[in-house]
Amino acid sequence: MSENKYSATSGIQQEEPLLFEHAHEAPESINLPGVKGEVSSDLAAFKRKTPANIPGLSEPETVRHFVRLSQWNHGIETGFYPLGSCTMKYNPRVNEQIARLPGLAHVHPDQPEDSVQGMLGLLSELQGWLAEIAGFSDVTLQPAAGAHGELAGLMMIRKCLDARGEQNRKKVLVPDSAHGTNPASAALCGMYTVELKSGADGRIDLEELKKHLDGDVAALMMTNPNTAGTFETDIKEICQLVHDAGGLVYGDGANLNALVGVARPGDMGLDCLHINVHKTFSTPHGGGGPGAGPVAVNDTLKPFMPVPRIVENDGVFSIETEDEQSIGTILSTLGQSGVYMRANAYISAFGNNHIHQIAQDAVLNANYVLSKLKSVYHVPFEGLCKHECLLTDEWQNKHGVKTLDIAKRLIDLGFHPMTVYFPLIVHGAMLIEPTETESRETLDSFCDAMLEIAAQCEAGDTQALHDAPLKPIRRRLDETQAARKPVLVWEG
Amino acid sequence: MSVPTDLKFTKEHEWVRIEGDTATFGISDHAQEALGDLVFVELPEVGRNIDAGEAYGVIESVKAVSDVYAPVGGEVIEINETLESEADLVNSDAYGAGWIIKVKISDNNADTDLMNPEEYTEFLND
Amino acid sequence: MRYLPHTEADRQAMLQDIGMSKMSDLFADIPSEFHTELGSLKLPDGLSEAGIVKKFTKAAEKNRHAGNTRCFLGGGTYYHFVPAVVDYIISRGEFLTAYTPYQPEIAQGTLQALFEYQTMIARLTGMEVSNASMYEAATATAEAALMARRVTRKTRTVIAGSVNPRYRAVTENYLSRLEGDFVEVGMGKFGTDLSKVIAEIDDKTACVIVQYPDFYGSVYDLKPLREACNAHKCLMVVAFSDVSAFGLIESPGAYGADIVVGSGQALGIPMAYGGPHLGVFACKKKYLRQMPGRVCGLTTDADGKRGFVLTLSTREQHIRREKATSNICTNQGLMCTAAATYMTLMGDAGLATIAQHSAAALDLLVSKLPSHVVAASGAHYNETVLTFESADKRDAFIAEARKQDIFAGIPLEKFEKDIEAKHLLVATTEMIEEDDVNALIAAMEVAS
Repeated sequence: MSENKYSATSGIQQEEPLLFEHAHEAPESINLPGVKGEVSSDLAAFKRKTPANIPGLSEPETVRHFVRLSQWNHGIETGFYPLGSCTMKYNPRVNEQIARLPGLAHVHPDQPEDSVQGMLGLLSELQGWLAEIAGFSDVTLQPAAGAHGELAGLMMIRKCLDARGEQNRKKVLVPDSAHGTNPASAALCGMYTVELKSGADGRIDLEELKKHLDGDVAALMMTNPNTAGTFETDIKEICQLVHDAGGLVYGDGANLNALVGVARPGDMGLDCLHINVHKTFSTPHGGGGPGAGPVAVNDTLKPFMPVPRIVENDGVFSIETEDEQSIGTILSTLGQSGVYMRANAYISAFGNNHIHQIAQDAVLNANYVLSKLKSVYHVPFEGLCKHECLLTDEWQNKHGVKTLDIAKRLIDLGFHPMTVYFPLIVHGAMLIEPTETESRETLDSFCDAMLEIAAQCEAGDTQALHDAPLKPIRRRLDETQAARKPVLVWEG
Repeated sequence: MSVPTDLKFTKEHEWVRIEGDTATFGISDHAQEALGDLVFVELPEVGRNIDAGEAYGVIESVKAVSDVYAPVGGEVIEINETLESEADLVNSDAYGAGWIIKVKISDNNADTDLMNPEEYTEFLND
Repeated sequence: MRYLPHTEADRQAMLQDIGMSKMSDLFADIPSEFHTELGSLKLPDGLSEAGIVKKFTKAAEKNRHAGNTRCFLGGGTYYHFVPAVVDYIISRGEFLTAYTPYQPEIAQGTLQALFEYQTMIARLTGMEVSNASMYEAATATAEAALMARRVTRKTRTVIAGSVNPRYRAVTENYLSRLEGDFVEVGMGKFGTDLSKVIAEIDDKTACVIVQYPDFYGSVYDLKPLREACNAHKCLMVVAFSDVSAFGLIESPGAYGADIVVGSGQALGIPMAYGGPHLGVFACKKKYLRQMPGRVCGLTTDADGKRGFVLTLSTREQHIRREKATSNICTNQGLMCTAAATYMTLMGDAGLATIAQHSAAALDLLVSKLPSHVVAASGAHYNETVLTFESADKRDAFIAEARKQDIFAGIPLEKFEKDIEAKHLLVATTEMIEEDDVNALIAAMEVAS
């Protein structure tokens, strides 16, 4: 019974060698357009002496090769993907369609402004919408990903403090539950981070915060809801305290999905917020990118936004490339426009009348999962969660089962595991983010799987957990071997 | 694992063996166990001068990375190049083949802060 | 709302299951003063799918684009052909909708594609190893400069004035908050004078960054630079803006580059008004533990079968935190899959043909120039600078070309603001055919 209850099967998966191992001569070069003929003698002197050794397969072989590879992947379209703090929601297909319209896909970034008014209009519209949704005065689209947005935000904070004559402020406070990118971004801005110990409830501890607020403080970087999935209820006081101490508050928008249309970080006193459009606004993760990390800013930081920027004048859009106060440019183009087309389409689909349903259903789903699992998995921080819920393996440990085993067993049952061992503030963390695009049926099935795993632990029937996964094309992989003797390219 | 009695330890879980004006550094068995399977050891250049307490290298496991600090100061006279390809020696033989560097001691003031094996075991148990 | 599976009845039942009566109970932990009145945002109401298609089609029609014009624009982004197969492969949900492959057992597809990408990029650039991509070329250049500081423990950066001004600006910006000098070497011509660059290298220099082919499309011998870098123990960083060049010309690796960075957009990725593109990052094997970004490595699974994982992750921010090699978290994963598919379709022969046609189109263009327009001299790949008699003459030509639906090139002052406004940066690819060149030349003659 139980093997049929979940979607995973051991259906046919084809082995496929590396394309370098397809042992035959490449076919005739495909027919390419263009100006034929030899190149100038000046250039000919620089010709490659040996070819690069890129094998080349025929078109049918290429398709089969990559289709087989694709079948080894689990994507959102394949199954449930409750990866905490990653917001793996359904990526609407119409978004892909519109982004491929030739008038959007084949536009060169240095075309004259009058020839790209449609594109600039869509980007500018999205800028305004993101500012409105997040509750800020403006948005820069330049950052290429969340971590890049973080860097942009900290650069703006640095510049703002410098403009106030406070070059000495270099301390950035970061809760110990924060995403790992935070300290690295601060270091790049010539600042240093000091870790804030979370309180007993996983939230920022006001007394701990006060201890660190002195004349050196440049900023507090926080995520709200935090990575334990709970809302920072003292948010107003936190911002007030940091501002009173002369610092600014940076928001990591990784968890914005909990708030869309329901509450606005800008209203709570934050000075800026980066938005992961590949999380909240459904642009595909693509196996690790591309993302985009626009940053929303309030009036304090607005003068320091990066250039180039889109400016509107009587319905005509132009691009501003110079600004004395700006932090300058951080990408070779305006931004990841193709990603923004999809984000615009996503917001267009919801609109003002539906957008709050994103947060509502996301938070409903997370609390639903939490309520079903809390009797058998340890919940480190009691109470309401937001768009994700945090469990640990504490109760399973006594049966010799760890978070990793639970995660790998889920694979055999057809689910992508949750985020494991993050946040670092609890031992054996399992962070589950179901998102709003999952049905009750899927959530029930996932919860059944989790309950079944817990029951197997209780029954001492744990071998299947330690052996898992058995169904994918590969079993547990040896990460130690990979890191000890790194092989990053094929030398066969 | 038995701990050689001629070693001294730091609170950062490094060991040092002092023979005349030469000191050999490594990390304790406890440290290697806590880090898990080591994959890489970044060694300093021979000839570099290191102060007592200074980070002189980096050790990496699959899941963690840690600086290693000099128990005493001095000039690097030898590095354990085998570790560049076989970092796991630190796991399998922390007090022997898993030694990291040797220095010619110039600053031995930190000696007073070092623990003998019994004190280190006590420190671990605290 | 069609992306949300719940019915109202589902929602009510689920609320009941968790002991709540209404949606707002779920947000009781948010102070009431911060609750947004539902439906009060300044956004239009939601559109149907048909409405979305209509809206974007209308906006797209307001743009001119490379597909319905003759496009001679370059400067870092190029209109190369994207085969249908590339777009098909990256449209497959298993590639498109997967996250970063942190659970390798169910991400072998992405991982093997990344491994193949890394291998092909290393081969094309002539380097030993490649990472699994960066955002794009300018940030990749900045990351190369940061990496050189870590490798050499020195802080001075020398960059040639013939590196794309945007790569220079971003690199300078990244380094400006850190200690150390940033030296830009003016060239005084549209090309690279290596002797000027070499004169700036000293023992404090962490790296020297040049572009090859340079920003003006000029191709030159990098050998003297390798020697100078050896003499001062600094790293040789070579940037590029159109990776297709290396299907034809000698790779930076063959000249002994330590780090190679640039744009891989030519490998099957649409221009899309500036992104998402692909930042290529390759280096010598001995530096791989200082290399930023994600990397995929070969290993075996519990049954001894070959498999792949993301590796060397201890360099990354989630473990090293402030000591991480870079703050980067995301790469351009899907673009790597696109590039891998593209290179597989092309092979050596196809890549050589594309480069040959791209360069031949430029040769043809230069050979037909009227006497009042002068092209920069020396070897060029697929891009060069045309100089007109005056700003007026150039602008008259640009305007005339526009009338004929030709994007004639990029006014150089758009990149180099202090330069006299009579230069035009023009680029060609395999998408430029002889009649496109003829049309451009005809516009030049009409405007003169």
